Amino acid sequence: MEIGMLPISASKRGKLLAAGYTTLHSILRTSTTHLARDIEVSESEALEILNFATRSSDLDKSSGSNANVIHGGQTAWDMLNEERFSSLITTSCLDLDNILGGGINCKEVTEIGGVPGIGKTQIGIQLAVNVQIPLDYGGLGGKAIYIDTEGSFMVERVLQIAEACIEDLSEYSHHFYKDNQAFGVKMHPNSILENIFYFRVCSYTEQIALVNYLDKFVTEHKDVKIIIIDSVTFHFRQDFDDMALRTRLLGEMSLKLMKLAKNFSLAVVMLNQVTTKHIEGSFQLTLALGDSWSHSCTNRIILYWNDDERHAYIDKSPSLKSASAPYSVTSRGIRNSTSSSKRIKMV
Amino acid sequence: MAPLNSLSKEYPLIDSNFQTFCASHAIYSVEDFLLHDLDALFASAANHSNSERLKQGIHQLLLIVDALHPPVLNGLQLIEDAKRNKHVFSTGCEGIDALLGGGLRVGQLTELVGPSSSGKTQVCLMSSSTVAKNKCSVIYLDTGNSFSPQRIAYFVGQSSDYVSVNQNILDRIICYPVFDVYQMFDLLHQLKINLRSQIVKSDHQVQVLIVDSISSLITPILRGNGPQGHALMISSGFLLKQLAHEHNIAVLASGRSATSTRLFV
Repeated sequence: MEIGMLPISASKRGKLLAAGYTTLHSILRTSTTHLARDIEVSESEALEILNFATRSSDLDKSSGSNANVIHGGQTAWDMLNEERFSSLITTSCLDLDNILGGGINCKEVTEIGGVPGIGKTQIGIQLAVNVQIPLDYGGLGGKAIYIDTEGSFMVERVLQIAEACIEDLSEYSHHFYKDNQAFGVKMHPNSILENIFYFRVCSYTEQIALVNYLDKFVTEHKDVKIIIIDSVTFHFRQDFDDMALRTRLLGEMSLKLMKLAKNFSLAVVMLNQVTTKHIEGSFQLTLALGDSWSHSCTNRIILYWNDDERHAYIDKSPSLKSASAPYSVTSRGIRNSTSSSKRIKMV
Repeated sequence: MAPLNSLSKEYPLIDSNFQTFCASHAIYSVEDFLLHDLDALFASAANHSNSERLKQGIHQLLLIVDALHPPVLNGLQLIEDAKRNKHVFSTGCEGIDALLGGGLRVGQLTELVGPSSSGKTQVCLMSSSTVAKNKCSVIYLDTGNSFSPQRIAYFVGQSSDYVSVNQNILDRIICYPVFDVYQMFDLLHQLKINLRSQIVKSDHQVQVLIVDSISSLITPILRGNGPQGHALMISSGFLLKQLAHEHNIAVLASGRSATSTRLFV
């Protein structure tokens, strides 16, 4: 194992190489004091380097275990069984749920993008409310984190959508439990508002710092089931001089979000803006942040206008078919489109 | 290269006398020793008082170096090895198999490059289901939460007759979520060690390793402060190729199209 593969800083690596320590074995043979003296760092830093080295060499000593199951992996059969019990967050629009296979999947990162005014923030708010539907009604009963970068989160609208959701739930319970009068919905719009954790970020450094902090936050609040970032592009689009830096920061941020989604089994929804791209002589609408960002999500949904009607189209997914579905934004939130020629189009 | 004084603990022949002798020829580390003219060194050792001991020290160093290099193979041995061990695995898609001359070849690293939504993950999933159906194990490193067991079950179910066989087939595909490049290194090293000590059982032998996608691990570290990111990219390519050749595995890595990561293969 080479020194280059230890997660230490470049200057320490340079010092190690200059002093003649090129392999892990050579580091392990010295003690902390010798190492500190040879490469002129403090004792605590030398101890840290030795810890990294011993941890890597401990992997060498693990033997006798089943050759196939290295720590951390799962077979496809186990994952398939787990998926059957995994939970989906409904979007309150039946057509949209149908093309998504039931709703937004937990453990996945979904990117939703569209022109301004198409309803991205509305979908974000609807999902933040829907994640709190209690388990008895087929929901997840979880909390939501809403990260707002544009300032488009209106609390009055959230209240409106929350009240509409509770009305729908009580109507549903009324239909199914006609005899049981005691089965009332014990939710109040204020409790829905209480379960949405709202963060406002004003610069890209704040956004990255927040994503780093989310790991600790979600460990403390284990019932968070969805993280909505609205929108992930805003701070990265204007006056960013160094494009290479932007690509790197975005790549790192997307990996951290993927890790959060996988480790805590929650859904991450990123809302994105659009830009025009010049392809083969014509201008086409495409999602912002470039080609490199397009690999940062598991599923991608593009929202667009089709003759006065709003449609959603699945652009990228490992397991869902490409399809588009209409939806509408009403005073009660996102609902099915009410046009007469409504049909799911399989593309 | 290690400095000579670190070898003195294990090899008593390389004591301080020997080191002073070497220092007089400006040899401070094993690297300097290898670059120096050995005949001249022997000649000057013969002129010293304890020349026997010095010559033994030089021989000791040469022995240490000899013990560490990999075995030298000739062309005939390589052909034997290729015929016996280096099989070809079909990817399940005829067009791609035709392009690759049969499919994924053991001992080689195949890179799959394309823009977003072009089907790279689908090819990876299809290859892993085809390989699993042919009774070999697959290790799938997933960096973007895009491993879909549902899709694999669909591919497998498409051409097998009984439903109960599915569990055996799906059990051969093992998925590891990897989110940074150091995690991938740890995993690959552990795999190397496990493979070295593995008892060969044809049903559970790992023959295919799929990394989807390697570019998302490398992009965050590339072009940063200094050549460190580039060095990590090259060493990860080297490690994958070494795994492929020494342990008879076919490696498939997918990535987005970009000129910087095309230096990979």
